[in-house]
Amino acid sequence: MTPMPPTDLLRPDLLRSARFRAEREASWQLLDRLVAKTERYGAKNLSYDEARDLATCYRQAMNSLSVARDISLDRALLIYLEQLCARAYLVVYAPQQSLRGLLSRLITHGIPQAVRRSSTPLLIGFLALLVGMFAGYHLYQSDPSWYYTFVPGDMSSGRTPDASADYLRSTIYGDESGDGDELGAFASFLFANNTQVAILTFAVGIFLAVPSFLLTFYNGLLLGAFFAMFASKGLGYDLFAWLSIHGVTEMSAICFACAGGARLGLCVLMPGDRTRRDALNHHGRDAVKLVLLAGFMLVFAAFIEGFLRQLIQDPVWRLTIGWGLGAGWLAWLMLSGRKDEAA
Amino acid sequence: MTKPAKVKKAKTKTAQDHRSLADFLPPEGVPIAFQIASMGARFGAQFLDFLITYGGLFALLLFMLWINVLPETAFITLFTLLIFMIRVPYYILSELVWNGRTLGKRIVKIRVISANGRRLTPHQVTARNLMKEVEVFIPATLLLGGGTGGWVITIITFFWVLGVIVLPFFNRKRQRLGDMIAGTVVVEQPKSVLLPDLAIGGGERAQQFTFLPMHLDVYGRFELQTLESILRDPGTSPTYPAELAKVTEAIVRKIEFIDPVLPAERAAFLMCFYRAQREHLESRRLFGDRREDKNHKAGG
Repeated sequence: MTPMPPTDLLRPDLLRSARFRAEREASWQLLDRLVAKTERYGAKNLSYDEARDLATCYRQAMNSLSVARDISLDRALLIYLEQLCARAYLVVYAPQQSLRGLLSRLITHGIPQAVRRSSTPLLIGFLALLVGMFAGYHLYQSDPSWYYTFVPGDMSSGRTPDASADYLRSTIYGDESGDGDELGAFASFLFANNTQVAILTFAVGIFLAVPSFLLTFYNGLLLGAFFAMFASKGLGYDLFAWLSIHGVTEMSAICFACAGGARLGLCVLMPGDRTRRDALNHHGRDAVKLVLLAGFMLVFAAFIEGFLRQLIQDPVWRLTIGWGLGAGWLAWLMLSGRKDEAA
Repeated sequence: MTKPAKVKKAKTKTAQDHRSLADFLPPEGVPIAFQIASMGARFGAQFLDFLITYGGLFALLLFMLWINVLPETAFITLFTLLIFMIRVPYYILSELVWNGRTLGKRIVKIRVISANGRRLTPHQVTARNLMKEVEVFIPATLLLGGGTGGWVITIITFFWVLGVIVLPFFNRKRQRLGDMIAGTVVVEQPKSVLLPDLAIGGGERAQQFTFLPMHLDVYGRFELQTLESILRDPGTSPTYPAELAKVTEAIVRKIEFIDPVLPAERAAFLMCFYRAQREHLESRRLFGDRREDKNHKAGG
């Protein structure tokens, strides 16, 4: 493998370490060239021989480094070998999956399996939202002024208990005039807000899952009060349809983010046989997948919210699409990647 | 007692500036010391990433306004999605594609590696960048966007951001919270430059001076490598000849070398001494006698 160095370098009067270097220098320089090529054009563009040489020369250089540390005092050489090995290490141990491969694996196996492994956290997530909705609805029923406590002023844009039923109806069935556009912009704003809320809900879960629960509960509270207000004006069904078309996806996303947080919180609370650090590391994998799922769903929901909701005005269709999508998500998460799991 | 002591002090100082990762062990079992990236480089890379992403988005915005084909709603939705894309997804995707480097990191030549010596996994990249959002971006938007939660929240957020930013200064690997959770370290991109071996060449001059074992028993590894760096100096600075004279003088006195060294021969003398000293120390090393510096005798 190692090309023979020029003979005049092998003079017997050379230092032992200089001979060591002279014998191996050609192989290091070959590695240097191969690493430079890979750094520039990627491992994909190496020929079969080059790829084989890269692996062989890398191991030889590592070996040389190990020996040189013992026998050589040439600082320049030691630094060179160390840096060369570092560069080669980064090239040899680069991720070998393509982005598309990663993504498809995540979708077909990673996420659905992670979801199926997280039944307790999911229960916490969805429970938080449902209990919140229930509480919000009943609090509004007992005293409508609760609405102002829950819903921030800038978010309601005129949709308060004092507004007329006609106005409220117009916000649901946006006509061609300005209102629809305004709502679209509002929807985009909500999306940006939602992703932040989702990430935050996830991250604070590490504090024993309590803050995640509270944030999701608050989301439910808001939703419940909002619904109760429309329902009191006789618009309950229409609002339900209006919310369903994207809300099924969006609210599920928030619950998944909450479940991710709860997963972290639960493993801090009950690490089992592992240390807390190890448990976090282990459960973190699934938790991060849950947040990624939440992210995907939020992007999806934003598209529906931005485009589809303005186009489809019929409440029946809104309901069908919204809950149809919900069933779709459920089917994907429950059925995908089953085969792999049993093995 | 004067010169080498001074040199040593200067050396240890530079060694502290370039911290290296101590316990990094690749699967081959030979430790490699990566240089830990400075905080300046990391802030620089982050700033460049901001500039690139938001600058690109702004340029696109101007372009879209100029051609003006999209209806207003679609336009706003598109940009909300893009703003989302240039936050977490940009960092995750670029670090996945370029093995731990965003565009900003590529420019300042730093990169993310996995602290355990294995390859960087997609999970690690995702975790550290999700945490970046939680650590800095969301609290920063909370602070800049004005207090919706009252002054208590603002103060808590402020201290949180402050704590998260100063945290890397208080640990040896310069890890931020996300790095700790993901098990990653940000290091400098290694560069390999092979310099010629000083012990080769010299020809007949190599035999010009002869050193006895007693001459070579004085110094250790540290002094040898300091001499190496002096000899590798291109010698362009005007004070270089004077420095060479000082070093030669110090060595001659310390090893009690009797033969005269003419001013014209100083460089040749030092080269000869380097070669002889290195040969001596390296062969002592083979016998298990590792002389770290000139105090090796005192240490036993």
